[in-house]
Amino acid sequence: MFGQGLLKGLAITWKELFTRKVTVQYPEEKIPLPERYHGRFELDVDKCIACGLCANACPNKVIQITREKVGKKQYLTRYVMRIEYCMFCGFCVESCNKGALRFSHVINMNQYFRDKVRLVLVDRPVPEVLPEEEPAKAADGSPAETRGKTARAEVAAGKAPGKEG
Amino acid sequence: MKTQTYVLNMGPQHPSTHGVFRIILELDGEVVVKATSVPGYLHRGIEKLAEARTYTQVIPYTDRMDYLASMLMNWGYVAAVEKLMGVEVPERAEYIRVIVGELSRIASHLVAVGTYSVDIGGFTGFLYCFRDRERVLDLLEMVSGSRMTFSYFRIGGVADDLPPEFFPPLQKFLKDLPSLCDEYDGLITGNEIFQARTKYVGIITPEMGIKYSLSGPVLRGSGIPYDLRKVRPYGVYDRFDFEVPVGKNGDCFDRFVCRIKEIRQSARIIQQAIEGLPEGPIMAKVPKVIKPPAGEAYAEIESSKGILGCYVVSDGSTKPYRVHFRRPSFINLGYLDELLVGWKIADVIAILGSLDIVLGEVDC
Repeated sequence: MFGQGLLKGLAITWKELFTRKVTVQYPEEKIPLPERYHGRFELDVDKCIACGLCANACPNKVIQITREKVGKKQYLTRYVMRIEYCMFCGFCVESCNKGALRFSHVINMNQYFRDKVRLVLVDRPVPEVLPEEEPAKAADGSPAETRGKTARAEVAAGKAPGKEG
Repeated sequence: MKTQTYVLNMGPQHPSTHGVFRIILELDGEVVVKATSVPGYLHRGIEKLAEARTYTQVIPYTDRMDYLASMLMNWGYVAAVEKLMGVEVPERAEYIRVIVGELSRIASHLVAVGTYSVDIGGFTGFLYCFRDRERVLDLLEMVSGSRMTFSYFRIGGVADDLPPEFFPPLQKFLKDLPSLCDEYDGLITGNEIFQARTKYVGIITPEMGIKYSLSGPVLRGSGIPYDLRKVRPYGVYDRFDFEVPVGKNGDCFDRFVCRIKEIRQSARIIQQAIEGLPEGPIMAKVPKVIKPPAGEAYAEIESSKGILGCYVVSDGSTKPYRVHFRRPSFINLGYLDELLVGWKIADVIAILGSLDIVLGEVDC
């Protein structure tokens, strides 16, 4: 009979009226992200040995690393991701042997200006002596430790574009 | 009375082309006398880009061909490289590939079904399909970390094991899926207006389907049960019990119905794959730097749109010498110009939608 299919469709939409809604009011409510979510990158500078494996793994040459030799060790001075070219494939995170480069759950990466898009994970001057090689001065205020802390704090708080727009 | 034909340009910006695709229609009144399709607006040169990347680095680019079924695109490429290198993929990896691949097929078919409904004018069906596609994407997000461009396959296996929290929602989804398909059938398939628009419209005869080497639901809608998973099983597909749904008349309606039936069959395959999921490694022993021997390989898989073939030529270096993809959407689109002739302008939308093209794949 003509019209029966239409009525059946209407019955389905009516039934849907009484089910729980599936959407959330986004900026106020957020859906929890899964463990493996590919959000913004974060770098644990203390673990990073500046080997450059991540830069090599990247298909789009997103990662730019600057390192300098201090004493016998390579010292990471600058770690920049040209995030506008990033495909978020995760090959860099996978290639990191030290577990230094990780994905965070930050999804808000939109910017109003192009020059703010670039993600600077580390930008620090070269120390004359590596923090751990420096003679222990822990008794009088410990400059070695403070320096290590500033570098870390810089990464945690500052250089990565935290604010949107 | 003397009349003349006129030319109507459709696209490249047209909602029913699902991307940027142009058809130049020559019309006699409302009837199409000649159609010229103009693809290429989304061409990014993926095949050429691949030549400047290492074998592993090509994988994210394959995601961007058919972005609605990225897992299957990954699969086509890695299958070709594995064939070239002679890598034996561990069994657990093969099962995981089947699970995520079939989930991707479901997601792709849900878009096809939903957008076809909206092309014909039923917006409700579209929303219902997208509501359920979100559930599939949530599942794949748990596995790979991304919602659309997964880059989950690796040469010799998969990137990561399935997380334990993946299984309960998957089981729930599989349990709900038959009733969800019934909903689509009730909302879209059973709708008289939808049937009037699609039945006996854009008929592809089996002979023409074979002549134009169509594949996927477009061919199966014409009644030819040609599914690579069945006729030439790759991976572990020979171990699963499933049917290949076929249509009868080869019209738009049959192609559409085929997709909903395939969703049901995919659910059956996933259920069997979960039950038979073996323990073991998820990556074969492949060297860190992938350097296949000089030579060439061609591998085919059944993607959601049809047969995806990948041809890889190696010159023995770390980068492929040449990569070529046989994209099912592109091949299926080859018949469009001829198929449209004689149909009215409203049927153009119905016919184009029933082919289920993805422009990322057409233009590659």
